[in-house]
Amino acid sequence: MTEAADVIRSPGRRAGGLASIVAFAALVVLAGAVLFPVFATALNGFKDLSEFRTNPFGLPHVWQWSNYWDILTGYRYWQVLGNSLLIAFFTVTLTLVLSAMAAFTFAHLRFFGDRFLMSYIQLGLLFPLATAIVPIFIRIRGLGLLESHWGVILPQVAFSLAMGVLLIRNAFKQLPSELLDAAMMDGCGYFRYFLFITLPLSGPILATVAVISFVESWNGYLLPLIVLNSESRYPWTLGLMAYQGQYMTSWQLVLAFITLTILPAILMFLMAQRWIVAGLTAGAVKS
Amino acid sequence: MKFAQLAFLAACAAALSAPAYAETHVTVLHVSDNAAQKAIWDQIANDYNAEHKGVKVEFKYLENEAFKAKLPTMLQADESRPDLFYSWGGGVMQAQDKAGFLKDVTKDVASWESELAPTAVDAFKVDGKVVGVPFEVGEVAFYYNKKLFEKAGVKAEEIKSWDDFLGAVKKLKAAGITPIVVGAGEKWPMHFYYSYLVTRIGGEHALADAKAGKDGGFKNPTFVEAGKRLQELAALEPFQPGYLSTKHAESSGMFGDGKAAMDLMGQWLLSMQGPNSTSGKGLAEEDIGILSFPVVPGGKGKATDTLGGINGWLVSKSAPPEAIDFLKFFSQQKYAKETAEKAAYIPVVKGSESAFTDPLFKRLADDLSKTTYHQNFFDQDLGPSVGRVVNDVSVAVAAGQMTPEAAAAAIQEAADQQ
Amino acid sequence: MAAVTYAEAKPTAPASAEPARRMTLNGWAVVVIFLPPALLLFTVFVFLPIVEAGWYSFFNWNGYGPPEKFIGLKNYGYLFSNPTFIRSLVNNGLIIVFSLLVQLPLALAVAVMVAGRIVGAVWFRMIFFLPYVLAPVAAGLIWHFMFDGDYGVVGAVTTALGAPPYFLLADKTWAFSAVLIVVLWKYFGFHMMLYVAGLQGIDGALLEAAEMDGASAWQRFWHITLPLLGPMIRLSVFFSIIGALQVFDIIVPLTGGGPFETTNTMVSFLYFFGLTRMRIGFSSAVGVVLFIICVTFAFGYQRIVMRDD
Repeated sequence: MTEAADVIRSPGRRAGGLASIVAFAALVVLAGAVLFPVFATALNGFKDLSEFRTNPFGLPHVWQWSNYWDILTGYRYWQVLGNSLLIAFFTVTLTLVLSAMAAFTFAHLRFFGDRFLMSYIQLGLLFPLATAIVPIFIRIRGLGLLESHWGVILPQVAFSLAMGVLLIRNAFKQLPSELLDAAMMDGCGYFRYFLFITLPLSGPILATVAVISFVESWNGYLLPLIVLNSESRYPWTLGLMAYQGQYMTSWQLVLAFITLTILPAILMFLMAQRWIVAGLTAGAVKS
Repeated sequence: MKFAQLAFLAACAAALSAPAYAETHVTVLHVSDNAAQKAIWDQIANDYNAEHKGVKVEFKYLENEAFKAKLPTMLQADESRPDLFYSWGGGVMQAQDKAGFLKDVTKDVASWESELAPTAVDAFKVDGKVVGVPFEVGEVAFYYNKKLFEKAGVKAEEIKSWDDFLGAVKKLKAAGITPIVVGAGEKWPMHFYYSYLVTRIGGEHALADAKAGKDGGFKNPTFVEAGKRLQELAALEPFQPGYLSTKHAESSGMFGDGKAAMDLMGQWLLSMQGPNSTSGKGLAEEDIGILSFPVVPGGKGKATDTLGGINGWLVSKSAPPEAIDFLKFFSQQKYAKETAEKAAYIPVVKGSESAFTDPLFKRLADDLSKTTYHQNFFDQDLGPSVGRVVNDVSVAVAAGQMTPEAAAAAIQEAADQQ
Repeated sequence: MAAVTYAEAKPTAPASAEPARRMTLNGWAVVVIFLPPALLLFTVFVFLPIVEAGWYSFFNWNGYGPPEKFIGLKNYGYLFSNPTFIRSLVNNGLIIVFSLLVQLPLALAVAVMVAGRIVGAVWFRMIFFLPYVLAPVAAGLIWHFMFDGDYGVVGAVTTALGAPPYFLLADKTWAFSAVLIVVLWKYFGFHMMLYVAGLQGIDGALLEAAEMDGASAWQRFWHITLPLLGPMIRLSVFFSIIGALQVFDIIVPLTGGGPFETTNTMVSFLYFFGLTRMRIGFSSAVGVVLFIICVTFAFGYQRIVMRDD
C-alpha cells in the first residue's frame, strides 16, 4: 500500500545507485544519533536509581523488569492514559474542525476585515500559555469549567487554532482554483465543496496538524495542573508527580513511565501516516 | 394515594438518613514523599476518622514545584481550596495571610500550643496571630564521612571555629580527598553556607535587622563579611569538580559513594544518600558523623544557634472547625513519640526528643531542643523573590563571579523591588 | 490536466492568484457559520487573557489576592536594566540564527530523502519525529546526563581521549551550545514533518516528466521541488522563528538557566525570575515584551516575505 502511493507521488522514481546508498547510510547514522537519547530513556527505566546516576548509558547490570511491570499492572497508568487520550482526542478533533472551517473561509473568500481577522487569530502563536495562566484560570473558573476536562480542552484548542489555520489555509490555497470554479459552475455550493473536495484532498496537512496538535496536548502540563484537582482526572503528566518528591525523585521510574506514555503518541503518528497515504491515493485518482 | 404514601415514606427515610451522609471533608494538602512520614500521617488520619464519625480527613499529595505553582490559584477558588496545607513559613506565608487566605486560630490553639516548641510556634505567626501549627523542625549541619576524616587525620571534635574548619579542609585536600560536595547546580545548597555565616557573624538579629533596613539593610557589614568568608573557603577549592552543574540528588549520591568528606545539608540527606549512591546503599549510619557549623571569631552568633527548616500546616480561611480540631489531635505526644522512634522526622512536640533511638537524629533533635536561636531557611524566610537572589549570589560569590559587596547590594535591590 | 495546472502554478504566478470572487449569499453563509466558533473560542481563551496579563504588568503583584500595588512602567524599567534579560534576548537570537542556518536545512534534506520511496521511509520519519514527541522533562534530563563530565557521553569521550572530565553544563562560555544541540535534536523532526507534507502535495508526474526530459536530480530539486515547496518553507521559517523566541520547556531540566544565568531564554527568564519568585506583574511585563517582539516580527514577515502566500 505504501509502495503504490509512493510511486505515484515520489519526487524521484528510480533512486540512482551509489547516491542512494550513501543517502541511506547517512539516514541510518542520523537515525541512530537521534534515537540514542530516546533509547537511553527507555533503557534507564530498567535500572534502579543508583545505577541510573552512575551508568546512564550502559546496559543495566540487573534488569529491573518490575519497574515497567508495576506501572503496567497498576491502575494509575491506565487511568491517566485514558484521561490524556480523552483530552487529546477532543483537542485534536475540535482543532481540526474549527481550523479547517476558518482556513477554508480565509482561503477562498474575500470580505471586509478578512486580513485583520487572520492576523487576529495568529496572536495565539505569539504568546506562551504560561504568561497568561492566571487570567486563563480566572476565565475557566468563571465559566464553571474548573475540575472538568473541558477546562483543559478548550484553551488548548484556542491556542492551537493559530497554527492549524495557518497550515491548513496554506494547503487549501495550493489546490487549483479551477476546481472550485468548475464545481460552482456545476451548481456545487461552498459547503459541499468543502466537505467533498477540499477535505479529502487535504489529507497530508490535516494529518500533520492532527499529529502536532495531539503531541502538544499529550505533553501539556501547566494547564491540567491549574484546572484539575482530583487525581482521577489527571492526565499522565500530572500522574508523573507520584514519582517525584521534594528532594528526591525516582528518575528511573519517571523515565519508565514516560517511555510507556510515548507509545500512544507513536501509534497516533503511524495512524496519521496511513491517513496521509490514503489521502494521496484519493487525490491521484481524482486528477 | 398509594403513590403519595410511598413518596412520603421515601422522603422521610431520606431525611432521616441524611445526617449519616453529611460528612465533613477535611483536605490536607502536602508535598512529602517521605514514606515513613506519610505512613504515620495516614495512621493519624485513620485514627481520627474512626473516633469522629461524620468527619473524613484526607491527605493529598502534590509534587513540590507543582504545589508551589498551583497554590495561588488553588487558594482563590472555594471549590479547590484545601483546608490545611503544608508550609515552610516565611515570606510566602505572609503573602498568603496578607491576601486574606488564612484563618486566625490564635484562640483555638491557645490551650495546647505550649506543648510545642516555642520557636516553631512563633514561626507560624503573622503579626502576632497564629495562622498555622508547626509539626516538623530540621537542622542543617555538616555530615561527614568518618573514615575519610580518619584518613586525613582530621578530628571532628577539634573543629570549633571557622579557622579550625579551614584547616580541616586543607588537610583533606592534602590527603587527596575532596573536602566538600555541594549541589550548586540547584543553587540553594550553597546558600546554606552563606546563611550560616550571616547568622554566626551577625547573631540572631542579623536577618531581622537587615529586613528592617537597619545599617544599610542587606548591605550592612555582616552580609559583606559573610560573603568574604565564603570566598575564603572557595579559594581553597574544596568542592568537587563540576560542582556548578551538580544537582542535589547527584551530590547526595556522591556523598553516599564516599567521594567527598563533608556535605552541609538538612536531615533529609540521611534518606537520600543511600538510594542515590552507586551501590544503592550508601554509607552505613555508623560511618556518618554530624558536625555543627563552626563559630566565626568575633561573630555575635553562638555555636548553639541553628539553621533549619520549620514545616507546618496552615489553616485556610474556609477550614471547618473539624480541621482545627484535627490539628490538635495530630499534635499529640503519642504520635510525636512514634515519629521519633521511627526517625521519620523531627517533631516539634516538646519532650519527644527522648524517644529518638537513631543516634544521628537524636543528635539533631538535641541540638534543636537546646537551641538558643533557630533561623528558618533564608530563602523561605525572605520569600521567593529575595530568597532566590540569596541563592543566586551565594553561588556567584563562591565561584568568584561576584564580590561580596555586589552580592549584598543585589539582595538589597531585590528587597527594594518587593 | 493536473500537470498542466501545476506547471502554470510555478513561482511566476503566485499560487494564491485566485480571481476575486464576488461574495454570494452562499459565501456569506460560510463566513457566518465557519468563522464565529473559532473566533469566539480564541477571544475568550487567548485574546482576553493576553490583555489581562498585559494589565498585570503595571502592578507589583505576587499572585495572591487581587493586584493592588500599581507601579506603572517600573516593571519594564527593571526588565531592561537586568543584564540577565538582555542575555536572554541574545540567546533567543542565537537560537534563531542556528535554526535557520542548521536546523531547517537539515530538516529539508532529511525530508526530501524520506518523503518518497525509500526502504523504511515511514520508520525513518517516525524516528526523526520522536524527539518532538518526547516530553521535555525527560529530554532535558537525559541530555543533562549526556553532557555529564563523569558518566555521560561527554565523559566517555574525554576518557577515551585520556583527558580530564569536562563539564560542559558548568562552562559559562559554552553551556549554551548544549542548549542549541538539544533544540536541534528536538525540533528538526517537526520541520521535517512539515516539509514531508509539503512534498507529498507535489505532483510526481511533474518530476517524472522532467526526469524524462533529462533533468538531473539536483536540477529537479532546484527548479521544481523547491519553488513548489516555497509556501511551506516560508511557513516553516515563520514557525521556527516564533518557536525560537519561545523556547522554554527544555531549559528548565537541562540547565536551569545556568551556569550563572548564561543559558536563559526570554520565557525561562519569565519563569525563573517572575513566576517562581511570585512576581506576577514582572513576569507579565516580560510576556508583553515577548509578545511585542513576536507581533512585530510576524507582521513584518507576513507583509514582506509571505506577501503572495
